Amino acid sequence: MANEHPMNDPRNIWQNQTTEAFKMSADELRSKAQRRRRKSRFEAVYSMILGFILFVAFARMFAGVQEIVPRIGWGLLSLWCIYFVYQAYKWFWTDGVASDATLNTTLQAYRRALENRRDYLLHIGRRAGLAFCFLGVAMVTAPALVKAVDDPRLLLNVAPIFVLLAIWLAIFLPTRKRNQRKLQQEIEELRRFERENFDSLAAGAN
Amino acid sequence: MADDYLGCEPIPGGDVSQDSLYEQAADTYGSALERLARAYELDPEVRRDLLQDIHLHLWHSFAYFDQRCSLRTWVYRVAHNVATGHVIRQSRLRNRLVSIEAIETLPGSEQIESAASQSEALERLSTLIQRLKPLDRQIIVSYLEGMDANSVSEITGLSPANVAMKIHRIKNILRRWFDEGGRHGQ
Repeated sequence: MANEHPMNDPRNIWQNQTTEAFKMSADELRSKAQRRRRKSRFEAVYSMILGFILFVAFARMFAGVQEIVPRIGWGLLSLWCIYFVYQAYKWFWTDGVASDATLNTTLQAYRRALENRRDYLLHIGRRAGLAFCFLGVAMVTAPALVKAVDDPRLLLNVAPIFVLLAIWLAIFLPTRKRNQRKLQQEIEELRRFERENFDSLAAGAN
Repeated sequence: MADDYLGCEPIPGGDVSQDSLYEQAADTYGSALERLARAYELDPEVRRDLLQDIHLHLWHSFAYFDQRCSLRTWVYRVAHNVATGHVIRQSRLRNRLVSIEAIETLPGSEQIESAASQSEALERLSTLIQRLKPLDRQIIVSYLEGMDANSVSEITGLSPANVAMKIHRIKNILRRWFDEGGRHGQ
């Protein structure tokens, strides 16, 4: 039957699709692995240099400003840059992206990948040191905003930034929450699978 | 020499056994890996990158292959796990994926007319697979590759009973998508 109507036999269709017999030589593999490592190192160096440049710029502002509140703000921003450099080193230089591909079954690996993704989204603010950044920016801009109370026209200058920030937050926060909820649902589903498996295997053993 | 992988110590034997294991795996399962990549990525350019990634991970992994499972199980685990990582990184796409159970309960409008050619039928099959969540995708791909429930269970970690139930559902869906379409076309 499968031979008479091969288009009705999905296994036949699947297994008979054309392939190119793709294979990489040992040299190709080694060179690709080295290229990947080099790229990762380059990204690390690039991010670290960027962090240092910003650090120097903010530190100069810190040294030049006399008012205490903006000064602390620039200081916080400089610290944030150092933290950024550290994170760049940690994530890019040390190749922290290795996939745990072999030692686990695909069910375990899939759940772990989802959990990593969930944790990444959950702690993205902390990992990026956004608290330092926002606090620094707030302290730098606060005196200007206080002055604007006397002259409200000054507020118009910064209004577009705040409007954009509000729009971004209005989109980002619900989207992030929805994504996290979906991830969590899927993780729960996989855990249920694992429990069922454990139960059925235990029943089989008895 | 492979880089440190998962913090595991490489198995003594060095590059030779790693290279020869990779050679053996690529020769035996090369075509299956290409088909597997097709199940995870439709865009040919991105698919080629994914396939290279799978081969690279495989080669890396063989430095730690301790023969606790068969070569086939190892190869499929690595390949599926790398491909699953690829799907997870595409979060916008991932949010639209559904389970086998969800596809099984879709109304009749999902049934498609007969495929005019082999390539159209393959396109249809790929479309169906691309809609599935990674774990279900692994099961359907393994089924299409001709594996039995025990082999799929060894790769995925699901119990054989669970796998058998899923395969039963997959067969129902495929019958609906292909047999009925075929009959309408005759």
